[in-house]
Amino acid sequence: MRIVVPIKAVPDLVEEIELTADETGIDREFLAFVVSEWDAQALEEALLIKDANGAEVVAAGLASDPDIDQALYTAIAKGADAAVKITGGEGEPVLTGERAALLASYLASEPADLVVTGVQAADDLDGQLPPMLAARLGWPHVSVVVGIAATDGAITARQEFAGGRVHELAVRLPAVIGVQAARQAPRYAPISRVRQAMQAGGLREVAAEPSRGAPAPVVRRMFRPERTSRAEMLTGSTDDVAEAIVGLLRGRGLVKG
Amino acid sequence: MTTRIILGALIVLAGLSLAGVRLSWLARLVRSGQPAPGRLAGAPARLAAELAEVIGQRKLFKRWRSGVPHALVFWGFLILLFTIIEALGDTFISKTFAIPLIGHAGALGFIEDLFTIIVLAGLAVFTVTRLIESPQRRGRASRFYGSHTTAAWITLGMIALVMITLLGYRAAQVDTGDFPYGRAAFASHAVAAWLRPLGHGANSVTETVLLLANVAVIMGFAVFVTYSKHLHIVMAPLNVAFSRRPRALAALGELPPAAPADAPQLELLTWKQRLDALTCTECGRCQSACPAWNSGQPLSPKLLIMGLRDGLMSGDGEPAQVIGGDVLWSCTTCGACVEQCPVDIEHVDTIVHLRRQLVDAGDIEPAIQQVLQNAATQGNTFGKSGRMRARWTKELGFAVKDARKEPVKSLWFVGDFASFDERLQVLCRSLARILRDAGVDFGLLFDSERDDGNDVRRIGEEGLFQMLAEQNMEALRGASFDEIFTTDPHSFNTLRNEYPAFGLDKPVLHYSQLLGRLLADGSIPVDPLGMRVTYHDPCYLARHNRLTGPPRQVLAALGCELVEMPRHGLNTFCCGAGGGRIWMTGPEQAERPSESRIREAVALGVDHFVVACPKDFVMYADAVKTTGNQDRITVIDLVQLVDRARRAVTALETV
Amino acid sequence: MSNAVLVLAEHDGKQISDSTYELLGAARGLAAALGGTAEVALLGPRDLAGQLGGADVVVSVDHPALAQYLPQASEVALLAVVAERSPRLVLTTCATPGLDLAAALSVRWRAPLAAYVVALDVADSAVVATAQILGGKVLAELELPGEHGIAAVIGGAFPAAAGRGDRAPEIAEVTPPAELDELAMSLVQVTEPQGGDVDITTAELLVSVGRGIESEDNIELVQDLGDALGVPLSASRPVVDAGWLPKTRQVGKSGLTVKPKAYLAFGISGAPEHLEGMRDAELVIACNTDANAPIFDVAHYGTTADLFDLVPALTEKLDQ
Repeated sequence: MRIVVPIKAVPDLVEEIELTADETGIDREFLAFVVSEWDAQALEEALLIKDANGAEVVAAGLASDPDIDQALYTAIAKGADAAVKITGGEGEPVLTGERAALLASYLASEPADLVVTGVQAADDLDGQLPPMLAARLGWPHVSVVVGIAATDGAITARQEFAGGRVHELAVRLPAVIGVQAARQAPRYAPISRVRQAMQAGGLREVAAEPSRGAPAPVVRRMFRPERTSRAEMLTGSTDDVAEAIVGLLRGRGLVKG
Repeated sequence: MTTRIILGALIVLAGLSLAGVRLSWLARLVRSGQPAPGRLAGAPARLAAELAEVIGQRKLFKRWRSGVPHALVFWGFLILLFTIIEALGDTFISKTFAIPLIGHAGALGFIEDLFTIIVLAGLAVFTVTRLIESPQRRGRASRFYGSHTTAAWITLGMIALVMITLLGYRAAQVDTGDFPYGRAAFASHAVAAWLRPLGHGANSVTETVLLLANVAVIMGFAVFVTYSKHLHIVMAPLNVAFSRRPRALAALGELPPAAPADAPQLELLTWKQRLDALTCTECGRCQSACPAWNSGQPLSPKLLIMGLRDGLMSGDGEPAQVIGGDVLWSCTTCGACVEQCPVDIEHVDTIVHLRRQLVDAGDIEPAIQQVLQNAATQGNTFGKSGRMRARWTKELGFAVKDARKEPVKSLWFVGDFASFDERLQVLCRSLARILRDAGVDFGLLFDSERDDGNDVRRIGEEGLFQMLAEQNMEALRGASFDEIFTTDPHSFNTLRNEYPAFGLDKPVLHYSQLLGRLLADGSIPVDPLGMRVTYHDPCYLARHNRLTGPPRQVLAALGCELVEMPRHGLNTFCCGAGGGRIWMTGPEQAERPSESRIREAVALGVDHFVVACPKDFVMYADAVKTTGNQDRITVIDLVQLVDRARRAVTALETV
Repeated sequence: MSNAVLVLAEHDGKQISDSTYELLGAARGLAAALGGTAEVALLGPRDLAGQLGGADVVVSVDHPALAQYLPQASEVALLAVVAERSPRLVLTTCATPGLDLAAALSVRWRAPLAAYVVALDVADSAVVATAQILGGKVLAELELPGEHGIAAVIGGAFPAAAGRGDRAPEIAEVTPPAELDELAMSLVQVTEPQGGDVDITTAELLVSVGRGIESEDNIELVQDLGDALGVPLSASRPVVDAGWLPKTRQVGKSGLTVKPKAYLAFGISGAPEHLEGMRDAELVIACNTDANAPIFDVAHYGTTADLFDLVPALTEKLDQ
């Protein structure tokens, strides 16, 4: 089974986010990027399938994503069999629709049995990748998945609902799965292995020819949320704070005595 | 005489061949280890160590109650080698055998008798020690907990038998008139007086029997030694000779070649680590000093080394992992074990070496994974934006020089904890003001500074350490400075001892040294504080880098009366935060090392606990709270003391 | 094209979800502004239409494959609905069915989509959505150009009350598309959250923990506080994903929505997904060492005390 795992670099949320001068986008120039946490979960899930059943896992990134080489080599260090860098399109594809177009073109040239990727990304504006990609490919798709079991020519995916209800779905391949969480926490890639992977090279560039998709929303402006209210901060020693909290609860009759 | 020669020959031959076979097997076991580079370089230092550690028994005297008798027994054995030669001569050559050149000088007879008695007395002390320290009675608190106590008793018994048979056959020789020494051999003559009533015939038989018994016990002991923990008699001199000099602390040892992540643990061991395992004499000095063991965690450095030895000895069929992750992750890398070990076993290097394999296999707890990931992506273990690193300077009211843009004399390597922890940023600002007022030309690397990698390396993430060191070196190469000083003793350790391998060629100071210098030359005018304080030596300053003087000089210059804790200087007790432990959670501990330490300080009756390490500040401030000692003792940094002393001066000036 | 605003109904085969009423409330406001109707796409048992008294029109597709939610079945049925009704705007949630369907519909219907929407407006007959991205750090004002548009709305953005009603909506039946008989997926089994566990949605007081708890071993510390108060523990997603507490304790998107009289948040930074599930608590007290954590924007009282100090201190006070 060939599993392709699209990986996206997203702004590191520990950084201060700056807007562009015209305030219609994020200023990406000085921003630090990290792999989207849901993509890290997706890669882990794909590697778990490989560990259990054997599979060829290919990490796929867009060449225009910041620091994507590092992310792809890390995927190899974790156990991916190969990694590809997809080129094509114009500039940095900020919208998910553009990413879906590039990936759909790549998957047409190098077919996969299963695409596993993060259910969402922190900077999705126009929708999530898994359904968009599946719709372009005409494949079945399931999102918010918390575990995949592979069988011959099919998989079962555990789809999670608010409140914890889980649907187990049998899905024919090829299919696209949007992963919410892998069955276990993503594994660690020691830097020495990442460096080994870098020295070995082996990132393959593949040119894609994206076709037009759905019209995108138009960004009128971006802005920071105003703080409408702010908590009253309790100060003093830990003991004072504890006393104040117990007082608040007692005042509402939530603590006996 | 013929019977004597035949019986003697059989005994000696059997003994030597049994011991020889075993020793050559052990030699093969050691030599099949991985290469351990640099173990022969620096012969003079190695010879000096051999003299001090083996002949001089230096580290044994750290525990004088067992150290003194051990040294006497050891020296006794050296002397009694003469009696062994004499016994063999008596057996095979003639009853009048004398060692060539020395002959039967009265002095030799006296010394031989004297040490026979001393060794017997030493054995009596050992017996008492073993009874008092008995693991049956004291459990985990005994340093012999987990040691092979039966073998130890057999050893004591055999040595006693050697002495008794020696004294016996010498006394019988006196009575048969064959004894070559005069009255100087006082003990032999004293025992002879008791045996004399038996008559000549009986004494003659006794002489032969006890002489053969003496040879037999010595040979039996030689065989027993090669099969027991008493192997240290043979191994210790070798291990001391090949150990890391000056000591297996400060920088980590040379890296053995990379092994696959799933390689069996024992296959990873270098020949030196194998030699360590065979040398361990199970004395438990390391175990008593270990903060992990003392707080009820699964790690005992002694049991770890014994575990490796048992794994090596039992050969095939061993599980891939002899030492479990819970044991390896308990270590704070404080080095107390290495400091204590009388035979120079390199516990910390071995633990980190085995941790590397766990990291390589991705076998790390999530909290640590997060820390490593943060260090790799944001360049700090806090996971905060790297651009926020020097934000603490904003509230200073003056600009700190950017060493990347203009030359400075002293470059301040602040470190993660001091840069990002709000409680410690206050200390940084104090130090910055003190330095400015003292006219020190200093600067920072600002957001080009990365985590120093000291703890990352000791977690076992070697690749990440190298990446961080390279990133820091790139920033350092781009800056112009004469010396570096650090806030954190951990940064100090790696910059001073490990960064030279990456090209750092400037002196590295700890801020206690810098403050000491400025106080000494009058750059910081102070009024005496007159406080009674105790001082906690950070492991990475004191034990790893032998810097115990400078902080004490600062305290003296500030007019503080220093009351030392029982565990101080090189014998300091770890706060529990080193080696990555500060980020680990692990099982609930009986008594955290930091809490034990605060109780130790409170018992002194001082009201200030002085620290010189950011991690100590955090750890002990917490421990004061969790032990409920807020009213009794306050944790205070060296910088705060200096600030207090100089504030008094400023106040006088403004009045 | 019509000026209708169509809401995708979410249900478990028996019950229409609260989130549907939130969307329907928003739809009614927008429909009024656009001069169209508020419609609901009911993909599944037609008798659920009785619960949709807040809608002008219920567009119903009923087919055995839609009895329980199946992503592909709902997708083809929804396509059939929009093809027939041609609404100006489609509203979905940003939770499980919405995350499956909105983006797929965008591609197949060729309509622009705004995700993570917290506000919707009609200005000069253009539909403008405000979306929350980058963990709530940035808001984006998005215009949905063209004849059709889709908005995936995060939970709690609109009040549910405005979507309820007791009218008898017109039922418009849409013929189930033939594709529903040849789907590439099937439902194998439904697992309800493990029984026997507490129901955090009915608790008056909740003690909630987040990533700041650092490790599974520390859960016990907070459990002690919960025991002292006699209330259950709840948690944010990272704690549940790590397996330290069961899924039934998760507050927020993909978890449960709670409205206790008081909510104590320890080590929760306040990601938008979490705030979605607890912002209606009457009293929120938050403890987080990061003074800039977004949780303090919804909390009534806050402290930057270390939770490892504060929690035992609280437990001790309550045990006295």
